[in-house]
Amino acid sequence: MNLRRFFGRKAKDAELAEEIQSHLAHDEDLRRARGVDADEARRQARVKFGGRNTVRDTEWRYRSLPWVESLWRDLKFVVRSLAKTPGFTIIAILVIAVGIGVNTAVFSVINTVLLKPLIFPHQEELVDLMNTSPRGPRGGANVPKFRIWREQTSIFSKVAGFDFGGAGLNLTGGDKPQQVQGVHVTQQYFSMLGVPVIQGRTFTEAEDSPNGGRVVVLSYALWKSRFGGNAQIVGSTIQLDGQPYLVVGIIGKSFVTDTPTDLYLPFQFDLNTQDQAHYFTVAARLKPGITYAQANAQLKLAADEYRRTYGPRAMGPQDGFGVVSLAEAWVGDARESLWVLMAAVGFVLLIACANVANLMLVRASGRRRELATRAALGAGRGQIVRQLLTESLVLALTGGLLGLVLGATGVRLLLAMAPTYIPHVGENGTAVVPDMHVLMFTLGVSVLTGILFGLAPAISASRPNLVAALNESSSRSGVGFRNGKLRSALVISEMALALILVIGAALLIRTFMKLQAVDPGYDTRRVLTMAMSISGDRFQKTAGVAQLVRDGTDRLTALPGVTDAAAACCLPLDGGFGLPFNIVGRPKGDAPFTGGGGYDTVSWNYFNTFKIPLLRGRMFTEQDNGAAPGVVIINEALAKHYWPKGDPLKDRMEIAPGAGPAFAEPARQIIGIVGDTRSRSLDSPPDEMMYTPIAQMPDGMTALNSRVAPLMWIVHTRVEPHSLAAPMAEALRVASGGLPVAHIRTMEEIVVLNTSRRRFNMLLLTIFGASALLMAAIGIYGLMAYSVQQRTQEMGIRMALGAQASHIRNMVIRQGMVLALIGVVIGIAGAFGLTRFLASFRSM
Amino acid sequence: MGNGKRGPAAGEMLQGTLDMLILRTLVMGPAHGHTIAQVIEHTSENALEVEQGSLYPALHRLEDRGLVSAKWGVSENNRRAKFYQLTPAGKRKLAAETSRWRRMTRAIGLVLDEHRPG
Repeated sequence: MNLRRFFGRKAKDAELAEEIQSHLAHDEDLRRARGVDADEARRQARVKFGGRNTVRDTEWRYRSLPWVESLWRDLKFVVRSLAKTPGFTIIAILVIAVGIGVNTAVFSVINTVLLKPLIFPHQEELVDLMNTSPRGPRGGANVPKFRIWREQTSIFSKVAGFDFGGAGLNLTGGDKPQQVQGVHVTQQYFSMLGVPVIQGRTFTEAEDSPNGGRVVVLSYALWKSRFGGNAQIVGSTIQLDGQPYLVVGIIGKSFVTDTPTDLYLPFQFDLNTQDQAHYFTVAARLKPGITYAQANAQLKLAADEYRRTYGPRAMGPQDGFGVVSLAEAWVGDARESLWVLMAAVGFVLLIACANVANLMLVRASGRRRELATRAALGAGRGQIVRQLLTESLVLALTGGLLGLVLGATGVRLLLAMAPTYIPHVGENGTAVVPDMHVLMFTLGVSVLTGILFGLAPAISASRPNLVAALNESSSRSGVGFRNGKLRSALVISEMALALILVIGAALLIRTFMKLQAVDPGYDTRRVLTMAMSISGDRFQKTAGVAQLVRDGTDRLTALPGVTDAAAACCLPLDGGFGLPFNIVGRPKGDAPFTGGGGYDTVSWNYFNTFKIPLLRGRMFTEQDNGAAPGVVIINEALAKHYWPKGDPLKDRMEIAPGAGPAFAEPARQIIGIVGDTRSRSLDSPPDEMMYTPIAQMPDGMTALNSRVAPLMWIVHTRVEPHSLAAPMAEALRVASGGLPVAHIRTMEEIVVLNTSRRRFNMLLLTIFGASALLMAAIGIYGLMAYSVQQRTQEMGIRMALGAQASHIRNMVIRQGMVLALIGVVIGIAGAFGLTRFLASFRSM
Repeated sequence: MGNGKRGPAAGEMLQGTLDMLILRTLVMGPAHGHTIAQVIEHTSENALEVEQGSLYPALHRLEDRGLVSAKWGVSENNRRAKFYQLTPAGKRKLAAETSRWRRMTRAIGLVLDEHRPG
């Protein structure tokens, strides 16, 4: 409004002048008509009208913005004065640009990941349903839990279950089969998350019931890539695992989950099942106005009901249900790492500020005469401070603009280096785009930076001792005491901040090196792994899977260059299952189970392939199949925990007792103890593990496994394993009757992926630390060079009085060293605090 | 401005009062600045005699606020003049202001009547 007035004012003034002329002419007409002669009429009209220029002035002032004009004046002045010292200006702008650039880059990521998780409408109402226990909340659900949660209509408006794709499906019927990720969801999933549907519809309640038919909803990406974006696909059928599925709808492009998803299938739960297996996750939308506390109170009642229905074995007295924010649950522990990064780049920016402040101080003392002259000519202190602040703001904003460009480039680099752990960034980080938030952030940081590094020099320069400054030949006067102290303080803080960053980086490097030296307990060299989706009908029974494993192993081992081959449900460092167990004949007191541990189903050759040592007993053989008595192998950690004195090989285990009839099996004889492996992560202690033969799984477990997870193939080779990937894939395709393999990775690659977050954090902190150190060094150099230059005269006199060159040199070096040392002491103290801070984050 | 003792001079006249007078004048139809000045002068029995020039800043503020619109045209004297016209918003504003003014003057009248001696 004001601005429009402001910019139109020249035209308006001209118009007003014409309007006044018109008014006067009309008035003259009127007076002449009454018989007044022309000259008198003109005079009277003018008198009557009043001051014409007063009116125009009033209007002009009404249409002016005083601050804009004085700002414009200041700006012109500042640009002129900055242009006079191009060296200073360029260095200052570059330093600021780097500082703001790294901040913008990191903030862009934080903005996308933490501040903008507004993927879903009314996201604050979305919660993850958790199993609570004294050990903390855990996700995961079984059908009875889902059913009871769904009944809590007083707190939830929608409840939906979903899994994470797991096994994958084989999309056939085209030129070549393709393994796709199909996520199972319940009917309300789409409406709960507010998912946009661009063609067709999502599942009906009937379609999400047992025998609801084979229906599928396609993701936007798959629809585009596989079906060429043809809308006619809705209503036709596609082939999944050899079965026809009716495509009922297509999801909009804007809906992206962190689990890559090609298509959605209905879970088709039998809600009356007693099946206790947990194999999916449940989220819900709270009714408007319901708080977490209210929801948790209601869920406590639900947990009591669940315990009454399914007994204390299904839910211990300490356990219950609860909700956590979905956004929080999905962002997970990336949050802490990102904030640590933000703090690190904040330090870099602070150092940049200190550096520029230093430069400004140096510049200001070179301009003392100029400022004193201006003050003597009547410039108020406020005016001088304003001019200097405008100067720093011009520098900061120019630097900020450049920083924005650097940041936009930097964030691409950052994401290119980043491991996969950063959620919400979309494919190749495409979701990270500079938006209003980022622009506002950069602008805010720029202004703040400008004030931060401009204020101290401005205030100190605005207190000139006029007489002294004007009388001295200023360039040779000594370093002012106040300025000297301020500069020293700046250098000390730069040094301290840089040191904190460097020590932080060093700590991460040390942790990382230690991690690299950890023996995972399995061989990672020349081991290739492949995932095969076996969700088809043929693999719902154990016998079919066992047959596939035998054929596949035979064909793989027959390949030249292959030493061993095996199959398993899961890979180390790549997720896995956990199950409770009882030891036959051992009292378990009040607890529902004797204990629990990691549970891998493996083929007989698994331990040989991974070179996991056998400590006692025997390995599995091909004869440990469905016809033979059940056997289990445990690892050393489990053996030590549950048999501190006794002999595990004499005992038998009941795995997953009470999990329902589909999983029921007789107790298994413990036949061997193998070495420990680090299967969850390299830095956590070895998991307690149980291994059972794939060929001996209950059919219900096999069906579930085939549905939720792909079968993993593991091949140990004599040569570089990727070179054999093609013949291996072909061998497995033949063995499985045409199934493709995906996720072909060496075990070394999986290890790298597992440690990539640490590597990433370490790399970034090292870069930031190094740049901070460099900036601090520049700062110290600048200060020393300046003070030496200022003291040339003093040094000359000293030398004339007999001081040796070495004395002078030592004096200067001592001065610099004192500053650096103070900085080091403060920095070490700060780093000490930082260490404890970092130690509180396991995720770093 | 020399007649400060006689009553509020134009410059001191309440801004809102002049605005209202202008709007009131324009109810009769579009008019240019000179006409408005004349009408105000006559209808208010010269009580609110204004220095005519001060009319223009007020007119332009009303235009900025969207209460009147303006366009150049030819006057009854066959001269170019800028004609002002009430906008719907201006009409609403006038109605609101008028009723407010009436209420106020009535209230003042009541107070004065009450304290009239006798």
